[in-house]
Amino acid sequence: MHVRNFSIIAHIDHGKSTLADRLLQFTKAVSERDARDQLLDTMDLERERGITIKASAVTIHHTWQGEDYQLNFIDTPGHVDFAYEVSRALTACEGAILVVDATQGVEAQTVANAYLAVENDLELIPVVNKIDLPTARPQEVAMEIEQVLGLPAEECLYCSAKTGEGVAELLDRICERLPPPAPPETDKTRALIFDSRYDDYRGVIVYCRVFDGALRVGDRIRMLGTGRHYTITELGRHTPTPTRVDELVHAEVGYLVASIRALEDVRVGDTITLDTDPADKPLPGYREPKQMVFCEFYPATTTGDSGRKGEFETLRDAIEKLRLNDASFVFDATHSEALGFGFRCGFLGLLHMEIIQQRLEREGGVEIVQTAPTVSYQIVLRDGSVKEIHNPADLPDPSTIESVREPLVKLEIICPTENIGDLMKLCDGRRGTYKGQRFISQTRQMLDFELPLAEIIYDFHDKLKSITRGYGTMDYEIIGYHADKLVKVDILVNEVAVEAMSLICHRQAAEKRSRAILQTLRKQIARHQFEIPLQAAIGGKIIARETIKAVRKNVTAKCYGGDVTRKRKLLEKQKKGKKRMKMVGSVSIPQEAFLAVLTTEQ
Amino acid sequence: MIPLAQLTTSDPRLQALSMTASDLPLAGGPGPRGLYVHVPFCVHKCHYCDFYSLVETGPDSRRPAFTDRLIEEIRAAAPRVPCPLQTIFVGGGTPTLLEPGLWARLLAAIRTHLPLAPGLEFTVEANPDSLEPELLDVLVRGGVNRLSIGAQSFNPRLLATLERRHDPANVRRAVGLARAAGITNVNLDLIFGIPGQDLDTWLADLDEAVSLEPLHLSCYSLMYEPNTPLTARMRSGAIRRVDEEVEAAMYEATIDRLHEAGFEHYEISSWARPGRACAHNLLYWRNESWWPLGPGAAGHVEGIRWKNVPRLGDYLRVGPLPPITDVEQLDEDGTVGEILMLGLRLTEGIGEAQLRTLLARGRRGPQRASAIEQQVAAGLLARRDGFLRFTRAGLLLADTVLAEVL
Ligand SMILES: Nc1nc2c(ncn2[C@@H]2O[C@H](COP(=O)(O)OP(=O)(O)O)[C@@H](O)[C@H]2O)c(=O)[nH]1
Ligand code: SF4
Ligand SMILES: [Mg+2]
Repeated sequence: MHVRNFSIIAHIDHGKSTLADRLLQFTKAVSERDARDQLLDTMDLERERGITIKASAVTIHHTWQGEDYQLNFIDTPGHVDFAYEVSRALTACEGAILVVDATQGVEAQTVANAYLAVENDLELIPVVNKIDLPTARPQEVAMEIEQVLGLPAEECLYCSAKTGEGVAELLDRICERLPPPAPPETDKTRALIFDSRYDDYRGVIVYCRVFDGALRVGDRIRMLGTGRHYTITELGRHTPTPTRVDELVHAEVGYLVASIRALEDVRVGDTITLDTDPADKPLPGYREPKQMVFCEFYPATTTGDSGRKGEFETLRDAIEKLRLNDASFVFDATHSEALGFGFRCGFLGLLHMEIIQQRLEREGGVEIVQTAPTVSYQIVLRDGSVKEIHNPADLPDPSTIESVREPLVKLEIICPTENIGDLMKLCDGRRGTYKGQRFISQTRQMLDFELPLAEIIYDFHDKLKSITRGYGTMDYEIIGYHADKLVKVDILVNEVAVEAMSLICHRQAAEKRSRAILQTLRKQIARHQFEIPLQAAIGGKIIARETIKAVRKNVTAKCYGGDVTRKRKLLEKQKKGKKRMKMVGSVSIPQEAFLAVLTTEQ
Repeated sequence: MIPLAQLTTSDPRLQALSMTASDLPLAGGPGPRGLYVHVPFCVHKCHYCDFYSLVETGPDSRRPAFTDRLIEEIRAAAPRVPCPLQTIFVGGGTPTLLEPGLWARLLAAIRTHLPLAPGLEFTVEANPDSLEPELLDVLVRGGVNRLSIGAQSFNPRLLATLERRHDPANVRRAVGLARAAGITNVNLDLIFGIPGQDLDTWLADLDEAVSLEPLHLSCYSLMYEPNTPLTARMRSGAIRRVDEEVEAAMYEATIDRLHEAGFEHYEISSWARPGRACAHNLLYWRNESWWPLGPGAAGHVEGIRWKNVPRLGDYLRVGPLPPITDVEQLDEDGTVGEILMLGLRLTEGIGEAQLRTLLARGRRGPQRASAIEQQVAAGLLARRDGFLRFTRAGLLLADTVLAEVL
């Protein structure tokens, strides 16, 4: 029997999930009746957002030239926040189908994903999808693919995942074009973990691809990276319903159950070997997941103070539960004077953060207040040591700091030609370095930049979308850390520094950013009976200043036709509002002010 | 029966119960000393207004039905008013929109069914545009002896900003007609802090009002009430709120100007010629009892506060006493808070002896006492001649201070 292992890669919404469904249907893995839309995306959220968050693998069969082919389709996460997971899934394949929407053309994630595939030595089959749409321009898009990725336009397949047109040819092409798995390198068993998920009954389900040797039910296995041992209790394949098998042999893809209790016990990219006869070298490419973007989650405030603790616990339960399903985000309990008890969380990237937040709200039933995201900084100390922090409050004494480094990304933007000027300006204002530009078609170009991650985590994507009226797409990849003139800005209210409001930013942006923050604060803090100076300072030096004037008049001059109750309630509200504020010195600061500062636009 | 203290609008049981004023317990003491009547009709809705009123001008207006219903309500309320009334105040809305014939019947019903004290102060709010000799004649004959005229401003541009539709020239005319009819006790309502108004234009309004020789002046700073068109316009940026500094200056200038003109400043926003303070208003500030009539009217009888449901339809349908809402009976601490909140609005303040008694009641006494001391130390309250009262700086920050001592 022949085996072909492949993935589908695409920019979001270009039709990856729909095409996958169509493949399953064509190979009769799913009956017409059972075919739910987008079978492979299991979570509600994925369905709604059309994003594939967790990979899974499905085995189908196809007959080509009279012979049976086992096709293992490995689904990949659709976003670069999961670039590492994507690359692991791609390692498990020999080839990939590159899907491009015939109405949209090549987009930023098309390019990024295609590069990832090429880096992993995969054979690519370019497919132009959605040719049923009246606005489809398949030939032009095929030309774009050739232009950008060097895949000959005449080799492009045209198909419609919706109508099924071209799908039979695609299956044939997979059997014909994709290389068979390479022969084993050693006689010791080695299998690559490319995904895992948590099941309430069986614990962790590990998805793996066997490169050398075989795995059998009852085998005692060892993870080479973590050194943990387990005994296999179940092996199987999704067809797409889970089907148990006794063994997974060379080149095969499937799942494994081994009484593994927590997702964090399993690392994507790790190598499984037999404990009794272990391989000495792991499969290449294993990496620890690294959190680059951080923010804090707090339970949304409700009226009473008493309810507060309970909400925190609900949030904690929700976070712990979610963590069972996603070992790549981290969290630590934290306490903010202003927002109460909450969690500081780290994510692989922005989208990852957004997904977690939404899942917490949806699945955990908690309403969340989220602070603005920050990145992780490397502080190089005078004594040569390096300290990693992601909270301005953790910055050590400035006199001990040699330099501060921040994550740098390689950013690719695909945009209409007429927006290039504005995008250059945008990136320039964000400390970006222009790296190059490439022609995609008569009307579109690809731009390359390097810029600090901190500059794109907040509103960059929104800006890009608004400049290009929705036509621009971007993708980024973290390429390392670099030192820049980064400083800690303290915010002082009535001469008292408010730690929860301090921030790290570039020296040159410090004035502008501080002014914006102080202006926000000025609107948020009510006038007091005395004047309140608001200041921003770097190491004691004031760089921006605003003043909240003293209140001059606060008197309701009307008696409401004797509606005394209403008058009293208004005063009570005024008083109660004050109670819920945080006192800094003699100034009462509303919670919203803290939040407003944390989300003030750069 | 559910204890009254537990009934508030937010209480769903109240809706279910659809309580009417007949469910209120009978007063143990002398009962109400005043009467407030709410007439919920206007020719046009002013943009700052959040009083309950309806614009019903056509021939099928419910004014006659309202009057019938009001008379029925008066009859039904009579047993709740055992002692002679010292004050009656008919407000709105625009009471002068009721036709003379309706007024005549209303006044007759009041005289017939309710006990009236010999020195009764009987005020009617009047719109300068709808005060005609014929109506005045009916009012005077029916016992009305005080008029409160809504002048607000004499500046057409500012009236337009407020979407207040009356001819400012008619204010002078109305005052003249009232005098001719024998009513000398006239109040003028004025508003300051209108967008586009500065200190000088305000003082011009104030001088014009003084020149009409009213015996009473109410000067209110414009309030931006939620859910009013004015507030929406302010939020959208269509109009700009007068700067707080300017408003403060206007208020202080008012105090000085009216002092020079011989008016006594007896309450935060009320001024009167000696002896002409509004007895009905004093009843509010002294936490005394009055009975409310008409939809939307709020009442207070011996510690129980409530409001007639502000819906004309329900008012016309349910009777003889009207459906009520926001029923509230405060505990000891709440009551003391209200007495302080109301009493301190009077410039004479609260007598030390009464204050001591008040602070001895309830559990929050010591807390309140220290809050009061803090405000005294801050120079916003002062003790003088045996009274605790606002200082001038305190008057400007009255709400801040009252929220602290509440
Ligand atoms: N008309 C048309 N619509 C398609 C086709 N393929 C996918 N779609 C639609 O495009 C949208 C995105 O498809 P999906 O498979 O979720 O994209 P993914 O994000 O790449 O997984 C969905 O609304 C699909 O129904 C196609 O061939 N023709
Ligand atoms: S006249 Fe008085 S009650 Fe009528 S709308 Fe104007 S302010 Fe409101
Ligand atoms: Mg999808």
